[in-house]
Amino acid sequence: MKGRSVASASLIAVAGVVLTLWTFPVLWALLTSFKTERDVLAYPPTLVFSPTLANYRDVLFGATTILPNLISSFIVSVLATALTMLIAVPAAYSLARLDLPAKRAGGFYILATQMLPPVGLVIPYFLVLQKVGWLDSYKGLVLIYLTFSLPFAIWLLVSYFEDIPREMEEAALIDRAGRLRALLYVILPQVRGGIAVTVVFVFLNAWNEFLFAVVLGGNTVRPVTVAMFNFISVEQTLWAKLAAAAIIAMAPVILLGLIAQRHIVKGLTVGAVKGGGRR
Amino acid sequence: MKGTIASRERAFALWLFLPALAVLVVTTTFPLIYLGWSSVNRIDLAMPWNSGFAGAENYTKMVADPRFWNSLVLTFIYTASTVVLQVLIGLGLALLVTQIPRGQGLLRVAAIIPIVLAPVVVGLFWRTLVLAPDFGVVDFVTRALGLGSYNWLGDPQLALMSVIAIHTWQWTPFAFLVILASLAALPPDIFEAARIDRANGWRRFWYITLPLIRPAIVIVVIMRMMIALSAFAAIFAATGGGPGTATEILNLYAYRTSFTELNFGYGAALAMVLLAITLLVSFVMFRLRRAQ
Repeated sequence: MKGRSVASASLIAVAGVVLTLWTFPVLWALLTSFKTERDVLAYPPTLVFSPTLANYRDVLFGATTILPNLISSFIVSVLATALTMLIAVPAAYSLARLDLPAKRAGGFYILATQMLPPVGLVIPYFLVLQKVGWLDSYKGLVLIYLTFSLPFAIWLLVSYFEDIPREMEEAALIDRAGRLRALLYVILPQVRGGIAVTVVFVFLNAWNEFLFAVVLGGNTVRPVTVAMFNFISVEQTLWAKLAAAAIIAMAPVILLGLIAQRHIVKGLTVGAVKGGGRR
Repeated sequence: MKGTIASRERAFALWLFLPALAVLVVTTTFPLIYLGWSSVNRIDLAMPWNSGFAGAENYTKMVADPRFWNSLVLTFIYTASTVVLQVLIGLGLALLVTQIPRGQGLLRVAAIIPIVLAPVVVGLFWRTLVLAPDFGVVDFVTRALGLGSYNWLGDPQLALMSVIAIHTWQWTPFAFLVILASLAALPPDIFEAARIDRANGWRRFWYITLPLIRPAIVIVVIMRMMIALSAFAAIFAATGGGPGTATEILNLYAYRTSFTELNFGYGAALAMVLLAITLLVSFVMFRLRRAQ
């Protein structure tokens, strides 16, 4: 009996350590964001300090404001998400349920596009967008964001469309509702949960994107992931401001992640069920 | 009459699917063709007068380029070690956590935090708050333990290990969640039967649990390999590929060549190699899954 309680105590200890490890950087950043730059550099690191909101004030409204960057991120992410959903929903329905010619090949092509290394895409995008003058523009960035969001959204939505009972649409068809009306008024309401989850993930991935943003963005379109580097230079690192900016930038995705918590495994393994794929 | 209904059905299906297909061809396939074309050209924005068709020049140059081979080796080490670490730690944790009567939910929630963070922010967190010499938490711990102070990201010997640790930190929760979900879906009566047969814990794991969750592990391995091969932002933020070329995986080498040295022809050739590796790996993995 005694061995058992020792075992379960050590289990709980391991779980506690893991819990700390996973949450530590965010919690530490949160703590740091309330420190003055001087308190940050105290050795040993201190837990006792008089908290200040000055970093948040500076990062939002001061000289080092990331507000324009948050707006950039928001515009790119919303546009990319809207466009993605507009194209992905019908395509996913077609792949999941309709008599689409060359269905396997089509599905496979979409899966393949999901696996492309981003650096292989960003080089030609840079060269071409530079020629047509689309660098540092929302259209250029939204276009390249489609390369990862569209395949992802299609495959995630397919898995939700496949869950609808076939009788639903058959009933709608017998009512002579017509194909498109059946999709709009009978099928889509059935998958609205899946659509919501897909929107969350597409938005999250777009918000977190960095490589495309740093190469194809500029002074006008400068998402917040790129702006994080404002606080780091060769001469000095503004630790507390960086922490505050990172907390603000990551608050939306942490919130979305927690809201979509129960769906995250499905969202992460999308496409894999059909034979491999990327997030 | 029936034929026309079927063909109308098919036309409807096509109309719904075509926009996605068209967009993907334009946004992914065309750029890749252009990438291939760029890789057989001299496109050096630092020396624009030198531009023109180069044939296989970029590729022959690559074979003789020690920095390329270095990046290839690093890519291999980085991918293999992060995937193995994630799967082993994730599996071990998932098995442990299923034994915990309560508090599983808390760990599942905590696991989400690293996953949803932007890799670039993760890289910056580690570079500053966790690993920075003198001020980082790890340095505080090693000093308190009397192990001394280390420049985790600035020392070429340690930098690769550090970026592997960062990647493993961010993505082990993914392996953990997927394997945990797969464990939770196993029918409990199998374990009852095994217990009645007096199979011990290790045998139960090896002969019952592991074969049943193997599909989940395979999924994790495939997806993590793909992600590790295209890992960029966290390394870029933590070390920028350095010091020197100590953490310069192929991805970063292609980036630096193109956007720092402005040699787009050679950068494109490097990216083509990465593309080939990615496609090869996914093809092999796909075959393995099918064989299962």
